[in-house]
Amino acid sequence: MTAAQIRFFSLLRREVTRFMKIKRQTLGAPLLETFLYISVFGAALGSRIDQLAGVDYVVFIVPGLIMMAWALNAFTNNSSSILQQKFQRAIDDQLSSPASPLELLLAFSFGGFVRGMLVAILTFLAASVLIDIPVEHPPVLVAALFLVGFFFAQLGVLIGVRAEQFDDVSFYQTFVLTPLIFLGGVFYSAALLPEPFQTLTKFDPVYYMIGLVRYGFLGYAETNIALSLLFLVVVALTLFGINWRLFSRGYRLRV
Amino acid sequence: MVGMPAHPEPAALLSPACVTPALQITDLVKRYPTGTEALKGVSLDIEAGEFFGLLGPNGAGKSTLIHCTTGLAQPTSGDIRVFGHDAQHHYQEARLAVGLAPQDLNLDWFLTSEETLDYHGGYFGMPRRERRERTKELLEAFSLTAKKDDRTRTLSGGMKRRLVLARALMHRPRLLILDEPTAGVDVELRLELWQYVQRINAEGTTILLTTHYLEEAERLCSRIAFIGDGQIVAQGTSQALAGQYGVANLEDAYLELVGRNELSRARIDDEAAA
Repeated sequence: MTAAQIRFFSLLRREVTRFMKIKRQTLGAPLLETFLYISVFGAALGSRIDQLAGVDYVVFIVPGLIMMAWALNAFTNNSSSILQQKFQRAIDDQLSSPASPLELLLAFSFGGFVRGMLVAILTFLAASVLIDIPVEHPPVLVAALFLVGFFFAQLGVLIGVRAEQFDDVSFYQTFVLTPLIFLGGVFYSAALLPEPFQTLTKFDPVYYMIGLVRYGFLGYAETNIALSLLFLVVVALTLFGINWRLFSRGYRLRV
Repeated sequence: MVGMPAHPEPAALLSPACVTPALQITDLVKRYPTGTEALKGVSLDIEAGEFFGLLGPNGAGKSTLIHCTTGLAQPTSGDIRVFGHDAQHHYQEARLAVGLAPQDLNLDWFLTSEETLDYHGGYFGMPRRERRERTKELLEAFSLTAKKDDRTRTLSGGMKRRLVLARALMHRPRLLILDEPTAGVDVELRLELWQYVQRINAEGTTILLTTHYLEEAERLCSRIAFIGDGQIVAQGTSQALAGQYGVANLEDAYLELVGRNELSRARIDDEAAA
């Protein structure tokens, strides 16, 4: 391994070690949460709701839940980890090392990405035990979930670097992310919404993410798949570009 | 063979490592976004192998100077070279050569003592086998072997202090920066740390020490600089500094620097006698 690879994997290992040491909170809690959503919305309410897009309601919402698990865990992990390290100033150990801005950014990003992926896989496995979940278009599904995970991992890094107190992180999560994710159609098809909400939903990027993931699982498309993928690639890369620039400038990390 | 030196000293003196200063700071200015000018054109040379002390009151710019050298702060203007490597444009070579033991015990709460050293080595690109050997060696040297699996949060203050120093030494830096290493440390540990840093200095590591304990600076440092209000106001051996201020010792020279010579112990004794 080259020195750059050793640095990158050590930085990434630190991020993974952190969430693995507190897995009750970082893996257990989100799994329980998803399980509760499936039970309450799927099993209890679902029995009173007709099929959506030709599948049972509970099957319809599982793709959105898996995506939400990946997205929120990628975001929360990165924003909390960076802010905690800034607080303890433990981050100075990484910042005064020869690691480049890109190595630091990628390692901080992939920490949350990996945690999101683990929670998503565990959610999928757990849900598969309870219900039969089809996987119609695996390549689209994998590409979509990776892009969603990457996007939210970048967003978590951005908020973690910007944040000065823990309140800043929970503000974004509560007042920005959760509404965007819920209103993006995790629990319903946007086609069921009355106007103007149906049109408004189309301005929510999460709507396209859920559309892609749902297409990957169920083969049901509300949006143009190729355009949605392209859109997602563009927004994820744009956010990555912004972060790379901020890391190169040392924004709020190197005063 | 008679008369041949045991070590080829003249050749070693000509090698770049000996000629290049360990730290060369030229016209360093640091202005924070708030407008505060923490460093107002600092120039400082520390020769390879020196034990150099940087003294000054709180807020004088000591930590800012250290942060600019280690990449934790970005200089507004000026030049910093670590063993000839530009700390901004060739930061990787420069940072490899520096080990920082900061004033705050900024250990990663999620890691054990052993992991702290191992990960630090990783951040500095050390291969696994080398990390393992060095970690073992440092845990032993700092009497931390029994605590290797303990999370850093659970360590006592003295142990945290040792671990911070061990971490700074992990990647075998040629320039070790100690920012107030003995603040709040008990007598035994202070003496232990002094012995240890004197030994590694004798083995060739250059040391930059900041401290508020003048006795510590006098005992350890071959040269001392006074920094006040973002500027180097005087530098030399402790006797030279005392001579420069026309006083008897380093403490009185320091009190002259901060404009508090009424606190001079010699002066108070003289007045009591008179």
